[in-house]
Amino acid sequence: MKEFKPLPDQPAPISTTGPIGWLKNNLFSSVFNILASILIIAALIAILPDMIDWLFISANWSGTTQADCVKEGACWVFISAWSQQIFYGSYPDGELWRVNLCLILLAGVIALSFILPARIRNQISVPAFLVLPFVCVLFLDGSYIGLREVTTNLWGGFSLNLLLAAASIIIAFPFGFLWALGRRSDMPFARSVSVTCIEFFRGTPILALFFMGSVMLPLFFPADVSVDKLLRVWIILILFMSAYMAEVFRSGFQAIPSGQYEAADSLGLGYWQKTLLIIFPQVIKVSMPNILATFVMVFKNTVFLLVIAVPEMLQVIMTALSNSNWLGGHAIEGYLFVGFIFWICCFSMSLLATSIEKKLDTSHKN
Amino acid sequence: MFSKKTAEQIKFETRPNRAGAKSFYNNPKYRGLIYQTILLLFLAGFFYSIVSNTLANMSAQGIKSGFSFLGSSAGFDVLMSLLPFQTTDSYSKIFLIGILNTILVSVIGIIFSTILGFIFGIAYFSRNWLIKKIAVIYVEIFRNIPVILQVIFWYSVFNTLPIARESFNLGDAIYLNVTGLYLPKLVGESGSGFVYSAIVVAIVCVFMLKRWAKNRQALTGAQFPVAWASLGLLTCLPFLALLISGMPFHFDYPALKGFNFKGGITVIPELISLAIALSVYTGAFIAEAVRAGIQSVPQGQTEAARSIGLKESKIMSLIIVPQAMRVITPMLNSEYQSLVKNTTIATAIGYPELFTVFAGSALNQVGQAVEIMFMTLAIYFLINMLISFVMNHFNKRSELSSR
Amino acid sequence: MNIRKIIPLCTVVGFSFLSVGCDSPQVEKKADTKAAVVSVAQATTMKKSSVLETVKKRGSISCGVSTGLAGFSQKDEKGQWSGLDVDVCRGVAAAVLGDASKVQYKPLTAKERFTALQSGEIDILSRNTTWTQTRDTSLGLNFAGVVYYDGAGFMVSKKLGVKSATELDGANACIQAGTSTELAIADYFRENNMSYKAVTFDTSDQTRAGFESGRCDFLVSDQSQLYALRIGLQDPSSAIVLPEVISKEPLGPVVRQNDDEWFNVVKWVVNASIEGEYQGVTSSNANDLQANGKPGQKRLLGSEGDLGEKLGLSADWAYQVIKQVGNYSESFERNVGQDSPLKISRGLNAQWNKGGILYSPAMR
Repeated sequence: MKEFKPLPDQPAPISTTGPIGWLKNNLFSSVFNILASILIIAALIAILPDMIDWLFISANWSGTTQADCVKEGACWVFISAWSQQIFYGSYPDGELWRVNLCLILLAGVIALSFILPARIRNQISVPAFLVLPFVCVLFLDGSYIGLREVTTNLWGGFSLNLLLAAASIIIAFPFGFLWALGRRSDMPFARSVSVTCIEFFRGTPILALFFMGSVMLPLFFPADVSVDKLLRVWIILILFMSAYMAEVFRSGFQAIPSGQYEAADSLGLGYWQKTLLIIFPQVIKVSMPNILATFVMVFKNTVFLLVIAVPEMLQVIMTALSNSNWLGGHAIEGYLFVGFIFWICCFSMSLLATSIEKKLDTSHKN
Repeated sequence: MFSKKTAEQIKFETRPNRAGAKSFYNNPKYRGLIYQTILLLFLAGFFYSIVSNTLANMSAQGIKSGFSFLGSSAGFDVLMSLLPFQTTDSYSKIFLIGILNTILVSVIGIIFSTILGFIFGIAYFSRNWLIKKIAVIYVEIFRNIPVILQVIFWYSVFNTLPIARESFNLGDAIYLNVTGLYLPKLVGESGSGFVYSAIVVAIVCVFMLKRWAKNRQALTGAQFPVAWASLGLLTCLPFLALLISGMPFHFDYPALKGFNFKGGITVIPELISLAIALSVYTGAFIAEAVRAGIQSVPQGQTEAARSIGLKESKIMSLIIVPQAMRVITPMLNSEYQSLVKNTTIATAIGYPELFTVFAGSALNQVGQAVEIMFMTLAIYFLINMLISFVMNHFNKRSELSSR
Repeated sequence: MNIRKIIPLCTVVGFSFLSVGCDSPQVEKKADTKAAVVSVAQATTMKKSSVLETVKKRGSISCGVSTGLAGFSQKDEKGQWSGLDVDVCRGVAAAVLGDASKVQYKPLTAKERFTALQSGEIDILSRNTTWTQTRDTSLGLNFAGVVYYDGAGFMVSKKLGVKSATELDGANACIQAGTSTELAIADYFRENNMSYKAVTFDTSDQTRAGFESGRCDFLVSDQSQLYALRIGLQDPSSAIVLPEVISKEPLGPVVRQNDDEWFNVVKWVVNASIEGEYQGVTSSNANDLQANGKPGQKRLLGSEGDLGEKLGLSADWAYQVIKQVGNYSESFERNVGQDSPLKISRGLNAQWNKGGILYSPAMR
C-alpha cells in the first residue's frame, strides 16, 4: 500500500492575511468604510505634513529674544525664554530649590506608598501624606523655619497648579470620607448636614466658588484678620474636592458587600473600629480609579484660577503674550504648550487609573 | 450598616440599676444625641460668627444690603440679549437676560455634545481601524485639556476671521466674519399662524403614527416605514399650508450698513466658540459614558442578534443602545449638569451669560456681593435640579424592573 | 479614652480649626483667630492698628497693581515690575521703609481690586483707578490724591476712515469690564442718540486683542491706556486716538478709610513727588540740594524742619522718595513720557505754572 502523503499546505490567499488582509478587513470592508477611509486618509495627507512642518521642522528652537524667531514655523523661543516663569512663577531665583524639594517630596511620598510592603504601608504613608502639604507650605514660605520669606504672591506657574491640586486632594481625603460617612449615618441631623454640604459644593460652578472666595470670603472674617488669597483658594478647593470625594466614597461603600458590615457588627466591633479597620481599606481599593479621576478633574480645574488673577500657568502665558517685548501673536504656541503639558499629565494619570481598574476587575465583560 | 435594635433590646440595655445595663455614655442612642447636639452647637456658633462678621464688615464699609438695587437702572449695555434691552433697563432685566443666555448656550451644548458623544462612542466599536483610532484620539485629547483653555483657543481661532467688510459669504444670505455669523431671518406675515399650526399638527400626527405603528407591529409583526412616513408628513403638511395661505413669509437678509450687519439673525462669535468648546469637551465625556454603557451589555446579546441575522447597524440601534441606556443615563445626567456649570467659563471670553453679566458686571457696579451671588447660585441649582428631574424620569423608564 | 471617642471629637475640633482659616503663616500674627471667633461682637468696635505700624513691623508694603498695563504696572520676564502706579508704591516704600524695593506686588483684576483693599489683603491700591464719588463714599475707601489726570477716549483703526466719535453709531465697542468707562460710554452714546454694542473683556489685553482682530470697531478706555494699548498692536500706526474726551478720569492711589495716619503718608508721598518737580529737585541733584539748597528744597528734603516727624516717618522721607524713585517728571517721562514707548505728552499733567493742573499744597 502506498503511504498517504498529505499535500503540503498552500499559503492562504493574499487578500486574507498579512498587511493586505488587514487593510481589507479593517479599512475597506464595506462601502461606507471604503468611503470613510478614503476621506480620512485624504484629510490626513492634506493637514499633517503642514502641521508637522510648522510645529517641528521650520520651528525656532534656540535663542532668547523675539528677534531670534527668524524661521517661518512656531516660535518655541517664546516658551523657553519665559520657562522659569511658566514653571515656577515669580519665585526668586536663588530659592527655586525649595519648590523642587516640595515636588520631589511629593513624588517620593507617592512612590513610597507603592513600594512599601503592605504591612507598614498604612502606618507610614498615611501620616506622610497628611503632613506633606504643611511641610511644603513651610518650605515654600520659609519664614517659620528661618529661610528667606517668599510671600504667596510670588508663587506661581505649573508648580503652583500641581502643588495646589495635590495639597487639596490630600486634605480633602479625610473630609470627604467624613462627609460620606455622615451621609450614611443614622443620625438625622448629621445626615442632613452632610447632604447639604455635598450637594452645595457639587452643584456650584467652581468659578463661582473661586469668585466667592476672592470677593465674599474676606467679609466673613473679623475686620482686622486678613487671610491670604492662596489660602482662601486652598480652602475652597478642599471643600470642593471633599464633596466629589464624598460621592466617590459613597459609591465605594455601596460596592462593598453588605456582608462585610454585618460580619463586623456580629464580631462586636464598634462603629469606628468597623469603619477604619474593615471598610476603609476596601473602599480605597475599590474607588482608586475614581479617586484618580477626581484628582485629574481638580488638577484641570486649577486652571480656572486665572479668572481671579492667580498666576498659575495659563495666566503666566497670557501675561507673557501681552508683554511689549513679545508682540506678534504667539498665542498658538502658548496655548499649544499649556494644552500639551496638561494633556501629558492628565493622560498619564488616566492611564494609571485604567490600569488599576483592570488589575482590580475580575468580572467577565465582553 | 448599623444594626437596628428592636424595642426589646433597647429596653434591656437601658434598664436602670441592673448589671449589664449600658452606662449613659455607652448607649448608642444617647451618644448619637450628644454628637448631634455638639455638631448643632458648633454649626450654630460657626454661622453666627460668619453672619455677624459679614454684617459688621458690610456696615463698616458702607455696603448696602437688601434687594432694592434690582429696580435701579443698570447704566451699561449687554452684548447679546434675547429680549430687547436698553442701557436704562433695570438690574432685574439684566438678571433675566443672563438666565436666558445661560439656558440658550446650555441647550445648544447639550444637544451637540450628545450627538458628538454618541457618534464617537459608537464609532469606537466600528470595524474600521481608522475610525476607531480617531474616536480614541478625540476622546483622549479633549477630555484631558482644561475646558477654559479650549474655549480661549476656539475664541482666538474666531479672532482670525476677516473683518466685516471682507466677510466670507454664501450668496447674499449668510455672512461669516470676526464679529459673528449672520443668517437670514424668517419673518412671518399675516397668514403665518396657519403654517405654524400646520407644523404643530404634523408633529402630533407623527407621534400618533409612531404609536399606531408600534401597536400594529406588536399585533401583526408587520413593520411600517415610520421614518419615511413621518418625514413625508412633516414636509408635506406645512408645504400644503404654505401653498394654501400664499407663502406669507419673507426673508430678512443681513446687510452691511455702516459698521455692522443689520437685519437677519446675528450669532456672536463668543456664543459660537463657547458652544463649540462645551460640546466638544462634554462630548468626549459622553463618548466615554456611551462606550462604558455599550460595553456593559453582555456579549451574548450581540451574538444572539447576529445569529438571527440582524444587520450590524440594526443590532446597535435596536438591541445594544437601548440596553446600554441603563448605564449611560446616570452618567448623562452628571455630564449635563457639569456642562451647565461649565458655562461660567464665558467670563474668559466675554459671553454675557448669567455669571459674567450679573455676578461680574452688575456686581462691580452695585457691590452687594452676598445678594448677587445668592441669586446666581440659586439659578444654577434650579437648572441642575430641573435636569436631574428630567433625567431621572428617563432613568426610570430605562431601568430594568428586576436585577 | 478609646478610639471611639477620640476620633469624632477630633473631627469636630479639626473642622472648627480649618473653618476659621487659621494655621496659615500669612494671617496677621497679632490677631489670634480663635480669640477673634470668640470676640465677634467686639470686632467692629476694636480699634484697628494703623497700617503704618503694620508695614513697619512687616518690613514691606503690599501693593495692588494691574495684571499688566504698559506704562502703569507691567511685569517683565525676570519678574520686575515697572510703571507709574508701581512708582507710587515704590515711593511709599522708600519713604516708610527707606528702601523702594520692599514692595510685594499683587496683580488684581478690575473686579476684585476693591474687595482686596477692603479686606486688608493689600495696603495700597495703585491700579489706574478713577476717583469717583461713589467709590469714595460707598466702599469705605479714600483716594489719596491724583497721579494722572486722564479722560476716556476712543481708538479706531485708520482703515475705517472715522474722524470723530460722532460717526460711531451702531459700532461695536471693546470695553474692560468693571471700569468707570463702561458707564461713561453708555452715557455718551445716549446723550448723542447713538447706539453701540458692548463687547466686554476682563483684562485690557483682551480688549486690545479684540480690537486688533476686528471683533470691535473701536476701543474705549482712559486715553493713557489707549496709548499703552496702541504700542502693543502689531502695527501701531494703523490706529488713531480720536480727539473726543468723554469723561474725567483722575487716576490715583486708594487706601482704606478710618486710617488717617496711613492716608496722610500716601497722600504726601504723592505730593512730595510733585513738589519735588516744582522745586527743581531731581534724583541726581537731591544729595547736593539737601545740603545747599533753597529753604523750600531743604524743607522738602528734610534737612530743615520736622515734616517727616509729623507724618510719623523719618526726616529724610521725601529725600528717599526722590532719590530712589525720582520726582514726578522723571517718573512720568520714564514710564509714559518721551523716554518710554508710549510717548504721551505732559498735557494736563504738567505743573500748574507750566500749563497743566498738577498742584501740590505747600510743604511747610
